[in-house]
Amino acid sequence: MSAAVTELDDDSPVNPGEHHTHGPTDAQYFKVFFLLVALTALEVSTYWWDDIFNADTKKIAVPVLIALMVIKFFLVALYFMHLKYDSPLLKRTFYVGMIVAIFVYVVALTVMNFWSDSGTTEFNDPPIDPPAPFCATSSEPGPCPAG
Amino acid sequence: MSGLAYESLEDVEFPDDIHTTSTGISNEKLGMWVYLASDCLLFGGMISTYLIYKNRPGEIAGLSGNTDKVSEYFDIPFTSMTSFILLMSSLTMVLGVNAVIRGDLTRLRLWLTSTAVLGALFLGGQIYEFTNFVVNDDLGFTSNVAASAFYALTGLHGVHVVVGVIMLLSMLAISFGTRIRAEAVEVVGLYWHFVDIVWVLIFTIVYLIP
Repeated sequence: MSAAVTELDDDSPVNPGEHHTHGPTDAQYFKVFFLLVALTALEVSTYWWDDIFNADTKKIAVPVLIALMVIKFFLVALYFMHLKYDSPLLKRTFYVGMIVAIFVYVVALTVMNFWSDSGTTEFNDPPIDPPAPFCATSSEPGPCPAG
Repeated sequence: MSGLAYESLEDVEFPDDIHTTSTGISNEKLGMWVYLASDCLLFGGMISTYLIYKNRPGEIAGLSGNTDKVSEYFDIPFTSMTSFILLMSSLTMVLGVNAVIRGDLTRLRLWLTSTAVLGALFLGGQIYEFTNFVVNDDLGFTSNVAASAFYALTGLHGVHVVVGVIMLLSMLAISFGTRIRAEAVEVVGLYWHFVDIVWVLIFTIVYLIP
């Protein structure tokens, strides 16, 4: 296999700077793949963390899952999609688009009360604490009764 | 092996064979990246919609359906297996791209076929999951708002996989006929990896995060 590649490089019509010298080899692709498999296995394991550790692991599992997702995202984009080896123009297009998209959707989720979602089935979650009555001396909402 | 590669090289057209552009990037490749960027925004909107509704199933007016949260019915071990299949298809795709760059058409065909088969397996898994939800759990597209958001998101991804499989099979057919362009395979590969990258997000955000 490697002999064939070496021989082809001598008179290949491919620009040497385009693919042969900068693109990952099959072995490097396998390394990235096994790393992705390991990260996915770690991700899936979080599903059983509560049972394994006999505790509520949600506060740890969610940041871990988000971190693993981001790492996997960049591994695929940089190596499998060749972004690491491609033109800077494509990198800039990708990163600018990604930052704008994240900003837009964080704003959208904020506007839709996503971060304050208390887990109830109401679309606009009612406040956890009811508002204080307008009149401090009355338990009824509204202005103080006359007299 | 080397002899085969030399023979096959005549059937492969490389990027330098095509006229150059002012950006140094071929129009097809730049076009695919711009399309993928727009698709990012589409999936971002769908994922956000699911996040907003996932805890608020609510009945759809005029329809009486299952108002349970979709997440109560997820089969994580099964979905993990289909995720692994899609991940493996990304590996076979890059091996195919490397094969066409080497001019090794035999291996290109092998990897393209493997990728298409793995993609079809993933789709089979998704069809099984949807069927299970609808038939056994009485959770259809119009059961509740969260279910609609879930089916729309994962269904849209499934449609992308179907298109990807068609593109892969088209590349396979072309490899048996006229000269195949190495960059055409690379562009199809970009699309396929995008499908994988979107599933990386969906799998974590929709299925794994409680």
